[in-house]
Amino acid sequence: MLDRIDQTRAEAGSDAAGLLSAESLEQFRVKYLARKGAIAELFEGLKAVPAGERPLVGKALNALRNDVQSLYDNARATLEAGRGEAAAVDVTLPGRGRYIGSTHLVTRTLEEFQRIFVSMGFNIVTGPEIESEYYNFEALNFPPDHPARDMQDTFFITKNVLLRTHTTPVQVRIMERQQPPVRAIMPGRVYRNEAVSPRALVQFHQVDGIYVDKGVTFAELKGTLVSFARQYYGSSIKYRFRASYFPFTEPSAEMDITCYLCGGKGCRVCKHTGWLEIVGSGMVHPKILQRVGYDTEKVTGYAFGFGVERTVLLRHDINDIRLLYENDVRFLRQF
Amino acid sequence: MKISYAWLKELTAVNWSPERFTEDLTMVGLEVESHQDLAQAFDGFVVGVVREREKHPNADRLSVCKVDVGRGDTLQIVCGAPNVAEGQKVAVALVGATVPHNQHDPEGKPFVLTRAKVRGVESHGMICSSSELGLGKDAEGILVLDRSARVGQSLAKHLRRTDVVFDVGITPNRPDCLSHVGVAREVAMLAGTRIKVPSAKVCEVSPPASTLAKVIVRDSDLCPRYSGRVITGVTVGPSPQWLQDRLSVVGVRPINVIVDVTNYVMLELGHPLHAFDLDTLNDRKIVVRRAGTDAEFTTLDGKVRRLDKDMLMICDGRGPVALAGIMGGANSEISGSTTRILLESAYFLPSSVRRTARALGMSTEASYRFERGMDPEGTVNALNRAAGLIAELTGARVQGGVIDVYPKKLRPPAIPVRVLHTNKVLGTDLGAADMARFLRKIGAQVKKRTQKRLTVVPPTYRVDLTSEIDMIEEVARVFGYNNIETRTKAGIDFSTTQGKDSVVNELRASLTGAGFQEILSISLQQEQLGALEGKPAIRVLNPVSTEMQVLRTGMIPGALEAVRFNHRHGNTDLRLFEIGTVFNLKAAGDIESLDGYIEEVRLVLAFTGKRLPVAFDRKPQEGDLFDVKGEIEALLRGLCLDKYRFISYDARNTLTEPTVAVEINGTYAGRFGKVKKEVTDKFDIEGAVYVCELSAGVLESAWVRERKYRALPRFPSVKRDLAFTVDRFIRQEDVASAVRTSAGPLLESLMLFDMYEGSQAGSGRKSLAYALTFRAEDHTLTDQEVDALIRNVVDHTRSACNAELRA
Repeated sequence: MLDRIDQTRAEAGSDAAGLLSAESLEQFRVKYLARKGAIAELFEGLKAVPAGERPLVGKALNALRNDVQSLYDNARATLEAGRGEAAAVDVTLPGRGRYIGSTHLVTRTLEEFQRIFVSMGFNIVTGPEIESEYYNFEALNFPPDHPARDMQDTFFITKNVLLRTHTTPVQVRIMERQQPPVRAIMPGRVYRNEAVSPRALVQFHQVDGIYVDKGVTFAELKGTLVSFARQYYGSSIKYRFRASYFPFTEPSAEMDITCYLCGGKGCRVCKHTGWLEIVGSGMVHPKILQRVGYDTEKVTGYAFGFGVERTVLLRHDINDIRLLYENDVRFLRQF
Repeated sequence: MKISYAWLKELTAVNWSPERFTEDLTMVGLEVESHQDLAQAFDGFVVGVVREREKHPNADRLSVCKVDVGRGDTLQIVCGAPNVAEGQKVAVALVGATVPHNQHDPEGKPFVLTRAKVRGVESHGMICSSSELGLGKDAEGILVLDRSARVGQSLAKHLRRTDVVFDVGITPNRPDCLSHVGVAREVAMLAGTRIKVPSAKVCEVSPPASTLAKVIVRDSDLCPRYSGRVITGVTVGPSPQWLQDRLSVVGVRPINVIVDVTNYVMLELGHPLHAFDLDTLNDRKIVVRRAGTDAEFTTLDGKVRRLDKDMLMICDGRGPVALAGIMGGANSEISGSTTRILLESAYFLPSSVRRTARALGMSTEASYRFERGMDPEGTVNALNRAAGLIAELTGARVQGGVIDVYPKKLRPPAIPVRVLHTNKVLGTDLGAADMARFLRKIGAQVKKRTQKRLTVVPPTYRVDLTSEIDMIEEVARVFGYNNIETRTKAGIDFSTTQGKDSVVNELRASLTGAGFQEILSISLQQEQLGALEGKPAIRVLNPVSTEMQVLRTGMIPGALEAVRFNHRHGNTDLRLFEIGTVFNLKAAGDIESLDGYIEEVRLVLAFTGKRLPVAFDRKPQEGDLFDVKGEIEALLRGLCLDKYRFISYDARNTLTEPTVAVEINGTYAGRFGKVKKEVTDKFDIEGAVYVCELSAGVLESAWVRERKYRALPRFPSVKRDLAFTVDRFIRQEDVASAVRTSAGPLLESLMLFDMYEGSQAGSGRKSLAYALTFRAEDHTLTDQEVDALIRNVVDHTRSACNAELRA
């Protein structure tokens, strides 16, 4: 028995010299120190030793266990300190950095919107930011001298030329050049003449969408927006559609989803309603379709418009829209 | 619009909770933006009576009071008000109450009352002033309540502040909902009940009104209906408390009983009314006409308004007495001595009221309603309701008859609604009977009904319902948007898909990979910034501030602004890029049309600070022009292979020096360079800034998207290094091009790997070392072949550039 102990000690000693990696260290532990390892096996054999020799052998066995344990501990310490043979390099030195760039949050959100809608068969179309009064208002069924114009405070360049207040004019521009089916989204920058505050800035981005074809219904509009919301906000969201008003759609609707911060219980972000308004929408007003020469007996359409910054602020819990355009790298690098 | 919960319940007899009202009204398009429980503000406030008052032992100005709040023991309260006295009924804030206004705080922020020791004496509450309660400005002394106040009653109850106020967002298409009755109608529609219409009964006396006043409508195109009543024996005093309370709850300040009744009726029924002092009207006559030659008019707010000849005015026998539908005049206003009034209830053309109000920069409760459209059939009812109330509240007499000028009755349209088409728009499967039932709920009359078609006459107050699609929306609203299926077509129709990637995505991927951070700037800039590039900028006629007055003509100023911002915050190692639209005037374009403007998408890069981030064994080095050039080359090579060229550029009119132009396929694409110091100084930027601006359009058209494979070389290459010394003013490119021409087609690549100016190169000379790689497509090059080429290169370069081969 004592021979076997010595033999094991010698073997462990030579094995320990080769412990240069974490794997070999683990193999060593399993071989000798684990519950079914060589030393445990020797202890098992202690029962067969005559009672008189047992104290002596037991003592030698304990000594062996301590020796092997310290071999293991030393090897591990060496390895961890990186002082193994292969580790003459202080790997704790920091890596040499490089500059890291990222896209702007607004860009990223726009790209995500585009990705989802393109996968649903929408084209991407853009239009001018300097827009005529006609496309921005009149063609969209905002009559002159109508209070609906108060809904959008406008920057004028001349009497008839302005900075577009929404991306909806692009809907008319597409329909003027193309016969149905028309299915497109229109991302872009828009302007509103509003006092600058944490909630409002003179510019923001919208993603408008339109689908005009035979058999396009309000039910289809709901389906599309719900499908978008599930992809963007997650498949478990709850939603509701409620009546609203836009001059260029009828029936008009707002879509709300349950507030994802409080789960609908009510919090600061959802103004204690439990709901977040995410998109305005509706069936394209027949007057708009008629104006571009579409036959409203044959085709119907739906349209919708998202506010991108609003989405960004809510999603990332940012409390001031101005942060998005200050270009502070301490802010931008967080995303 | 503010809507009172109590009022609404009174009109509807629907006993829903405020939450239910909020939810259900929001769903049908009357978005309840908030609701506020007025009593909540007075949680923990009660009526108390001061039983004892003693001087504070340690402070002259303080008293120690024993206050009974109806809870057995009295409370000991330290009070600092000079007017506190025994026997007073007072408003007491109990410990734990939130006091709305802290008069010791500069901003008056609310605070939670705790038990306190004031100069050694315990205080278990607070006796409040009206300022502390948020009820008024008086902060000098405590609010002393009426003797009849019940001790122990909640203060909210005592002050009759028990209502809930809804803030309802009324969209421009629903002027019929700008009143309590209007909102009540929607509630009744939802609850399936009827509203309780307030009584508009009037007891009339002789002589008839028509003998006391005369109404002539000259311009009935702008005023299709004008109704009036004459009320005499009026005493103008304050309104009764219930009326004052009702107005206050919804945020309207009580003035006198006449004005208050007209406001009350407007809030109840929606129709704006105006009361004239009949005895101030010349000839006791009303003439409704365009202003014509009348140039000025003083409205009752004391402001002089400049009139345009087409503005509709209410005039008397001499001149204007009111801006029709907007505001009355100072000359005919109700005063304390008024005894006879002419009450006006008219229907004005919405666009006329709006034009006038906008031209004068005015918006009043009346103009807001008229410009959205009132019920032309509602004038007389509102008139009677108001006359009845005035008679009831002041004991005045209503003279017989309504003066009603209504030459051409306005009839609501009969609108055909097709059942199939309605279902086609909504994606529903509703029958004619369902639709008829829904439309009756909104007060419409269904005149004819077949399986295929209904003929529907909307109620006169629904001025927004004029065509079939309007009725379809009503069907959807009553049916419930959430009862309409949520459906998507099974397959995606790709027939119209024509999308292709835009170069901007490629640019973003490339630049973020190279460590550039994307920024986004505001397209509107201050004038100086816009003028920086020396181009006329497009101005906005009505800017919000001078900071945002013109549209950017180029991308560089915005990028410099971002550099300035970040430098100021201690971040000086920057690599920024932005892709955005710039706006320029088209030469000789018509600025009244879009032809006068050019929009172009551009990319800008800005680069400041160190070439590479600090590392433990790397010497920090400032980046320079060639780092930027390298980035641009990498970007361009990725997009358009080798089809670009750099050209030195006259720097006089640019922001940079030196300036290098970038040409792609022979087209000018943009430029880069180091920003001139005089420019960075303007931005308070220290250190060098390198910028590059490129046209995304040019990059887009030069982008080589479809690339063909070129067979990989089958034979090995031969590499040789050559170092020349040349005059230090010889440009590297000239030497390289001499090498390239003389080496011929077997030269696969040429790379400058070292440049040196110094004594070893000889005085006035520099050394340029190139690595040349030769390869033939069809065989392995021999040393002899390459040696011959090298001799040729050395000879030619010597003669072309006076280049000496270094040993």
